[in-house]
Formats: sequence, structure tokens, C-alpha cells
Amino acid sequence: MNNFSHIGKKVSRPDGADKAAGRALYIQDLTRPGMLYGKIKFSEFPHARIKNIDTSKAERLPGVKAVITAYNTPEIRIGFLRDNFALKKDKVRQYRDEVAAVAAIDPEIAEEAADQIEVEYEPLPGIFSPEEAMKEGAPLIHEVDPRGRERTNNILPLKFHHESGDLESGKQATKFVVQGQYSTPLVQQSCMGTAGCIAEFDMNNNLTLWAKTQIPFLAQRDFNRALNDMGLRGKNTRIIIPALGGGFGTGLDTHAYEYIAILLAYRTGHPVKILYTRDEEFSYLSPRQSSQTKINQGCDAKGKLTFRSVDVLQDNGAYTSWGATYPSVMMLPATSLYRVSNVYFDAKLVYTNNTYCQAMRGYGNPEHCWALESNMDELAEQAGFDPYEFRLINSNKPNETTPMGLKISTCGLEESLKSVAKKLDWAKKHGKGKQRGVGMASLIHVGGGGRIYRSDASGLILKLDDFGNVNVYHGGVEMGQGLHAVLTLAVAESLGVRPDKVFINPTDTGTCPWDVGTHASRGSFMAGNTAILAAKKLRSQIFRLAEDVFPEEVHKNLKKHKTKNPDYEPPEFDVREAATEERFELKDGFIFLKDAPDEPWLRLELGRFLRTIHFRDQGQMLTAEVFYDPPNERPDFEKGLGNISSTYVFGTQGAEVEVDTETGEVKILRMAAAHDVGKVLDPEGLRGQIYGALAQGIGYALYEELQTKNGKIQNTNFRDYKIPTIQELDFPIDLEFIETNDSFGPFGAKGVAEPGLVPTAPAIANAIYDAVGVRIPDLPITPEKVLSALKNLNKQTEKRRTAK
Amino acid sequence: MRRYSYHKPQTIEDALRLKNEKTGAVYIAGGTDVMVQIKDRELRPSAMISLRNIPDLARIKVNGGARIGALTTIADIIRHPTLGQAFPVLMEAARRIGSVQIRNVATIGGNLCNCSPCADMALPLLVLEAKVRLRGSDTTREVSIEDFFQGPGESCLLADEIMTDILLDRSDENAVAVFMKKGRVQMDLAVASVAALLDMEGDLCRKARIAAGSVAPVPLRLRAVEEKLEGSILSEKMIRKAQELSKNSVSPITDIRSTEDYRRQVVGVFVKRSLEKALTWSQQ
Amino acid sequence: MRREISFFLNGSEVKVAAMDHMRLIDILRDTLNLTGTKEGCGEGECGACTVIVDGQAVNSCLYPVFEVEGKKVVTIEGLQEPENRLSLLQQAFVNSGAIQCGFCTPGMILSAKALLDSNPNPTEAQIRDALQGNLCRCTGYVQIIEAVKKAAINIRDSE
Repeated sequence: MNNFSHIGKKVSRPDGADKAAGRALYIQDLTRPGMLYGKIKFSEFPHARIKNIDTSKAERLPGVKAVITAYNTPEIRIGFLRDNFALKKDKVRQYRDEVAAVAAIDPEIAEEAADQIEVEYEPLPGIFSPEEAMKEGAPLIHEVDPRGRERTNNILPLKFHHESGDLESGKQATKFVVQGQYSTPLVQQSCMGTAGCIAEFDMNNNLTLWAKTQIPFLAQRDFNRALNDMGLRGKNTRIIIPALGGGFGTGLDTHAYEYIAILLAYRTGHPVKILYTRDEEFSYLSPRQSSQTKINQGCDAKGKLTFRSVDVLQDNGAYTSWGATYPSVMMLPATSLYRVSNVYFDAKLVYTNNTYCQAMRGYGNPEHCWALESNMDELAEQAGFDPYEFRLINSNKPNETTPMGLKISTCGLEESLKSVAKKLDWAKKHGKGKQRGVGMASLIHVGGGGRIYRSDASGLILKLDDFGNVNVYHGGVEMGQGLHAVLTLAVAESLGVRPDKVFINPTDTGTCPWDVGTHASRGSFMAGNTAILAAKKLRSQIFRLAEDVFPEEVHKNLKKHKTKNPDYEPPEFDVREAATEERFELKDGFIFLKDAPDEPWLRLELGRFLRTIHFRDQGQMLTAEVFYDPPNERPDFEKGLGNISSTYVFGTQGAEVEVDTETGEVKILRMAAAHDVGKVLDPEGLRGQIYGALAQGIGYALYEELQTKNGKIQNTNFRDYKIPTIQELDFPIDLEFIETNDSFGPFGAKGVAEPGLVPTAPAIANAIYDAVGVRIPDLPITPEKVLSALKNLNKQTEKRRTAK
Repeated sequence: MRRYSYHKPQTIEDALRLKNEKTGAVYIAGGTDVMVQIKDRELRPSAMISLRNIPDLARIKVNGGARIGALTTIADIIRHPTLGQAFPVLMEAARRIGSVQIRNVATIGGNLCNCSPCADMALPLLVLEAKVRLRGSDTTREVSIEDFFQGPGESCLLADEIMTDILLDRSDENAVAVFMKKGRVQMDLAVASVAALLDMEGDLCRKARIAAGSVAPVPLRLRAVEEKLEGSILSEKMIRKAQELSKNSVSPITDIRSTEDYRRQVVGVFVKRSLEKALTWSQQ
Repeated sequence: MRREISFFLNGSEVKVAAMDHMRLIDILRDTLNLTGTKEGCGEGECGACTVIVDGQAVNSCLYPVFEVEGKKVVTIEGLQEPENRLSLLQQAFVNSGAIQCGFCTPGMILSAKALLDSNPNPTEAQIRDALQGNLCRCTGYVQIIEAVKKAAINIRDSE
């Protein structure tokens, strides 16, 4: 099992060369003949009634082909709660609201026209925090629900709840308890390639959308519904995905701008491209949702966790997208990170006039891990345990079921804790103070798909051609994470061909089998498992056919060989007798018999085999298709129960920091990360995923925050929204992959796209505490906050000293 | 719409003439500020007059003192064989500006004329007590760098005036030069910055020139602190006093980059550390 | 109104008609159809638009097109060798896992090229300094630094 030809070996990703040459084509680079450019006019208030929209000036501008509003287009509801609209009517509920849109012959004219649209508003009082929104008599953000029934408050009708064990008896058995309140801010995914799409109708009114999406098939469903709303019943959407300049969750929902492009394309009869500028991306694309978490956690005298109680309050913003379902993922660490029975979890989501939010890498896990792992350290201190020891005492173990019903198979948590402690020189470095400290934090995440929808499936088609090339059709989305590289390796390995004979076709709903989407770190897991299944089918077909074809063809080989080498004596071997299905093997593109002598004439090149079976009477071409839905279940989120994934990943990250107590600056001296990955499929790709996620984790911990004022995002450029540059990553990162060889995963592998940023922030916060004794419960940990906390600490120490 | 005519005069006279001829014209140097302002639609010129093709404006002459053409790029300042040795505090600041890409086109004149309270090149020039030469169609005048800055985004430049040179007197080679800048990340606008030129004799401070950036409407000389320090022994007590006085000599604001309180703190710490550095150096 | 401008692009002279207000990135992407240079922010903050002008790395989104008159410009398209071969620098990026989504890659490679052209044996600190103006959201930069180091060795060995 472990003698892989390609898995685990260093290989260049198939799209690397084109990207290095600047030849990969992103949405930014695509044009279609006759294409127009769309621009959206956004709201100027966080909450207001729309009194009038005057588009006359915009319409008269030369080069403008269409101006649309909710008043001259059919209503299109969007979002899984159907509480959002492509274009807004009657009311705006956030600064981002799309009020009108223009299509023009060039982007500048479109921008000018959008400027010339005059909207008259009657401002309404704005609500900018969930607490405000829940107050008695607070204005309603949505006066009616999607069915037209009157709403009475701003609380979302979504329930995320879990109760297991017996909280009271857990509290009874508790010796030490710590309650804490933690928050995380709005954070921008900050893809280097901004959001955009091109919408184009053919003359049969079927739609093609080149989209920056991670959910091509769910998007197809959404847009087909929109076509229905537009009176185009029965018409179809085809989604084609070009090279993507990053995803990180931005593509997990369909966006108003996409529907608007579709409406403009239909109205004008031309392809329409909408592309966000960086400023628009910051201002108008849904960011990562913020979070407020209250955790109450206790342990007994031996350091064993006795109970955990979690309350989450989410600012949902004005409409609902996947940010609202973060609590479904928060539930995982809340119920299952470390062993704890007696768990209570409850999340409340509230409408406000802030921006609504979508998915971002980790999807609730970084938010919850921030709270949980900070709290763990506080509890450890309270109970008199070293935080590393404390985690070991409570570590999950393989083959356990957690309170949420997660069936843990392999579990590398303990190994990862030990690894990081060793790498950081924990015993020597922890508890020394003097402005230097070490800290760690761990994670649990889904690693074998994640059943948040009714289906968690992916399909795969392998089509062999006359030359031994394998054409792959897969609905997963390559957004930079290296899915196509893993898919190439998995197909090559499981089928038995060289990677350079594997060709991945563009993700296209017209040609690829259905796929629920590339999220929940499921990409490699699904690509790998479907490749293995499809390859198995193909090999079966090949070997069955080879029973007849192989002996004939190798006989020809032998004749040819003998002609060139007349003295050659072939070894004793009855090919025809040996040629049975089970005895064949296919490797590196050659078919041979497993127990045959190793002679070159006894190997049949795959392409030749395929041509032979093709160009004959009743000839055949070989294709295999699979549709794989992994063995997991859709949890009941109101009860907080269900084995959402087929397998789970664990890991630990640790940091050594130095704090400048005069300026509050935190300098990371080094980091260590140990991740349970099941099996390393693509070593460089995996390193890249962890380093990249870790960098995002550092941004989350120290620098990143979308600042809002009355619902308006203030820092809408890279000048004032700081993501880590190469300088901020100027410390050694000691990275280890723990191979637990999970039986559910392809070649033993589990999905690791998200875990890299989950524990980073609490690891750093815990290190800061070790260094200077201050705990910052609200991200990001800015020097301002550290300095302020140090001042308070000094005051308290001073107070205590003078009180004595 | 962002439309403007683009002109490339080859002499200062031509530049001045164009500025006077074309209403709504702005000068452009490296473009790293102006192009962003145009993109953000803060600036809507009808004509752009580039100063990048006037050789006279980009020459550096070092002879004891220095004359730096306003259109000298930050990169060229860093690369100059002798300018850095003569004026290390200038070099320190230049190195902390932006990225390689920015430094390759941004100019010292542009940095100054943008008049940001964060202007990195302003601080070393303040402590070097530089003068700037301004040329209009009828006038040529020299103004102290301190008088040049009038307010955030406001200089003393008259309608068509071009900054042509930055003039430096001979620098004190014995002075300790310090430049400290705090950004949110390494490559950033300053949240607070300090430049200092300290002339020491043992632990006696003979001469102190200290300037702070991002903590007032303009880049600021901390004269009260300088006066306190000059002629004093840099004891621990004196350094602490200077730190406190620095904090009280500035008027920072809270904005999206940082808080008033934090900026004050950092200025104090930078002054303290500059003094400690000077002390260490002079005691060697 | 368009005026003619001529400059040297990837080793050959080009003459194009440009409008006064255009930026170098507009001429490259829209007029000359060289879409390798990317616009990530349009404000000189992200470096995705980096090209080399007269040996210096610059943000083409801030570069008024008429300033490029008579100058030598190198874009990512100019690095490629004949017969579809990547340059050693590009190959090092491919081999080191330094490319994920690839959007920052052309700019990153050109900043690296500008560095190696003037400093064939850079320290890690010098590499960081040279690439500080190129943001990457995918890779965490570690393998990018490895790629530049590897390229430096390979280029030296090939000479």
C-alpha cells in the first residue's frame, strides 16, 4: 500500500507552468465578442426607504446600453433564506445594497453612468450591533419574512443548539471553572483576483456564466431559479470556471452581482461582464462573519474537563448567506475538541444594518477555536496545570464518538501536541516570562467531506482516448489550492498511468458530473476517492478486454523483437493461459501480467491497447463514471447531532513570541505546526496550503479587521486593511505532517485545506500571555490593545502592591 | 471620467508655462500619490504636467552639504554612493518608504509636496534643518522645511510653484542619527515616527534635533524636548523627562490606523530609545 | 484622441496608439492583449501589476503610459524562452510549490527577476525586501523564498 508511484512524491502542479508564464486566464482576462461592462450603484445609507430612482441621466449617456433597477426587472430572491434580492426595492438595509446597475460599452462609461443615477432616500434609524437589534422596540430590518408574514423581531429563524450529558452534574463535579467572553472581527478574504463574472445568453435563451465560484452546480440551480423568475422557465444555466485568483470561501454563495450581470445580459442581448475593483471588493463583497462567544468551562482536580457551556451571538448583517451557518461548524470544536461530556451550545443570529457575511476558510472554526483555546489556557492556569499537559490530559483519542456524534477514526491530536511541544522546546521556554513566551492551540475539523447539504457527493468521469491519455471531468473547483494537482496524482496512481498523460478538463456544469462544491476541505478527499473508484472500474474493463487483446498483441511484439534479434530465445511462459483479468496490472501506461517474466515485449502500451479495441469490428472506447457520496450524515443542527464527516483531522500549532512592553508590539520568533493529514498526497502542495493558511491565521491574529462606522466599511484598500506581506512571515516555521493513514481517505489522506488557520490566533494569544501575562480576548491583537492591557496589568499589580 | 492630457516638458520654464496655460492642471512626479488620488477621484485634473523629464530636477550634488533635486527618486537617493554616508538619517528614512516598486518611482519632492503628516522624508529633513527651493514663473525662493508644511495636505507652494531642490548644510558627522518608524506591518504608512540627530560628548548632549511624524497636522520638530536636552547629561531621569515631554509636545489623532493615546506612547518610546542609542554610541 | 507612443517591449520595439490618461497596465493588457500583468488593486499596494522598466521593478498601475516612451519594458511574457520553455526563474517557482492561484505570480516573478538581475546572490533579507511590495494570499511566502534562492543558484550555475 505504501509503495506509491506518484502519491507523496514531489510533482509540479499541472497548471503551474501556465501560471508562471502569465498564460492562465482569469475572469479578469476574459472577454466575449460584443461584451458590455456592468457597474452597480450601491446604497448610500445603511437603512433607508427608497423614495425614487432617477435613471434618466444615466440612460442618456452615450455608450450606455441598459440601466436596471428592481422596478424594471422581475424580482429575484437570493440566499438560502430567500431574504435577499438581486436588486433592492422599497428599502435598503446596508451600505452594500444594490440599487441599480448599468451596462455600457466600457467600464469607465458604466462607472460614470452609475454615478449619474440619482436615488432619493428617506433615512431610517440604523442598527449596528446584535444587542441593539434585540432591544425592545428596535426597528425591524426585515418587516416581513420571505413568505410575506410579519416579523416581530430581528432574530433569525435558525436554530443551532446542542445539549449532551448533564450540565448540572458536570458543574457539580467541577473544581475549577473559567468563564470568558471572546470576539473576532469582520475579516476580508482578500483574494488577489477580485470577484467577477461574465453572463451571456445564447439565442435560445440558455445562459452561460463564467463565474468565480466554488459551487458551480448549486449556482446552476440558483441561476435556473432566477431564469424562472425572469420568465425563462425551463431554460438552463451553464457555469464555466476559468482560472481563479483565489477563493477562500468567496465563491460559496451566489451573489447579487451575478444575478445583476444576468439581468443586464438578458436586457441588452449582449454578454455582460461585472468585475469588482479592489475598493468594491472590500466594500461590497461579503466578508467573514464576526463572532461573539461566551464560554464557560470547568475541570476537576485531575484536570479532566467536566463541562463546557457555549453561547454564541452572531451579527448576521442585513441578509443571510453562509456566514449564518458558522455555528454549525462551531459546534464541532465546541462539542468535540478534547474529550468532554456535558456540553451545552447555543447560537443566536440577529439581523443588523451591517454588511452580511459569507463563508471564509475555516467557516466558524477559527472563530470558535479562538474562544475555546484561549479559555483552555485560562482554565489550565486556574487549575494549576501546564497548558500543554492540560491538553494531553483531555486529548481526543482514535476510534471514539464525540458528544455531537462525530465518529473519530484516526486521530493524531496527541502526536501533534507532543510534536509542537518538542519543537518549541516547551519545557524550557514556558512559564519564564521576561517578555518571551510560548503558547499552543489545537484543532479538530472535518477531513472527509462535510455534509451541510442533503448531498455531499462528487462525480468523476475518466475518458480514455486513442493515445492512452486520460481525460478527466470533475466538478471540483481549482482555486489555487492544488485540487487539479491532487486529482492528477490520484488518477495517475490509481489507474496506472504517468501524470503527464492525465488531462483535467475545465470545471463546467455542461460536461462535468455533479459536485456539491469545493468547501469544507473536501476537494482532495473527494477527488482522490472518486479517482480510485473510477480507476477501478476502468482497470476492470481494460483487464477484461485484455484477456483477448493482450496475447495477440504481445505475440506481435515478440515477432518483431525476434526479427530484430534472431538469436533471441523467449522464456517459457504461456501468455494465453496467463491472460486472465486478475493477473493483469497497469503501471506507467503499460499493461503487463503480474507474474510474467520482465521482458519488454511482454508489455503492452495502453494507447496501443485502446486503439486495438477501438479500430475493429464492434469496436469500443472506454469511459468510467462514478458518483460518490461519502459515508457521513447531515446533522440535525437544532439538536447538534450527526456525524457530519467521514473522518476528522486534528492538529496543533504553537508560537514563540517576544513582546515589546513599551510599544505593545508582538514579534513572532518562530512557529511550529503539526497536522494530522492522514497521508501526504502532494508534498509541496500540502506545505503551501499550511503555510498559506498559517499566514492568514497570523493576519487574523495580529493585523486584520474591517473597521465599520455606522455600517460603512472604513478601510477599503490594502493601504488600510493589512494582510501579511513577506516581511511578516520572517520567522522559521517548523512544519510536520502526521500520517495516520485513515481508511476512509484516498490513499489514507484527509482534507487539510482549512485547518492551517484554525488554531493560529489562540496559539499566539497564549504565547503572549506566557510572555507578559496579558490576555487579549478580542481579535486582532493589536499593539494598542497589548499596551493598554499591560498598563492595566501594571495598575492592578501596583494596586495589589500598595494594598498590602 | 478620468481623462486628462499628459505633458512632458523638458525644462522648468516649459513646465511653469504649461501650468499657467492649462486650467485644472496638476504636476506629477513619481505618481505614487497623484495616481492613487486620481483613481479614488479625490483629484480630477484636466491636464497632467510631468516633471520626470527635466534633468535639472533630478541631480544630486554632495559637497559637504548637499543639493538634492526634488525629482530624485527614493531609490536613487538610497543608491547614491556618498549621500548616505554624509546624511545617514536621510538614508534610514528612505529605506523605510514603501516597497521597491514604490521607491523606484517615488520622489523626495513628491513625498514632501504631498504634505502628509506621515511623510517619511520630512523627518530627516527637519532634523537636518533643510531648506527647499521653490520656483514659480516669476519667483525663486528658499523656504525652511519647517515653514514648508502648513497643514495636512497643505504646503506653502503657490499656484504654479515647483519644488526644485532640497538643500542641506554640511551634516555633523559626529552626531548620532536615528530614524524609527512604526507601522501596522513592516511596509506601511507611519503610525508614528521619529527622527533624531544627537550630538553627544560623552553623556552630555550638546545638540539635539528631534522630529516626529504622524502625530500632528504636520511633521513636527520637538523644540521643547530639544531645549530640555541641550546641555544636559543624559541620565536615566533626563531621558524619562524627555520621553514625557515628547508625549506632551504632540497632538495625534485617533483614526483608522491607530489611536491618539498609542501614538503618543510610541513617540515617547522612540525618543527615549533614540537617546539611549545616542548614549550607547557615544560611550563607546 | 490617441497618440502614438513607442517603446521597447520584451526586446522588440512596439508602436501603439495610446490615450493620454492611460496607465502602462492599460496599454499592456487592453491594447497589446498581454494579460499576464494583473491588476490587483490599482493603487500600488499589491504588486500584482509589477513590470520591469529600464531594469527597475515598478507598479504598472501607477505608471502613466507616456512616461514609458523610449524605455525598455519587460513583462512576464518576456521571460519565456523560445519553444515554449520557461526561464530558470519561472521554472524554480513551478518546482518549489511557489504558485497556488497564480494571480500574484507574474508580479512576484518580475520583482524577483529585478532583484536577481542586479544582485545574483541575494540574502534572504534582501529577497524579502525585494518582494515586500508583492502581496500573496495563498502561499504564505515560504516556498516563494525557496524558489528565488533556488533560481539564484540555477542561474549562476548556468552561466
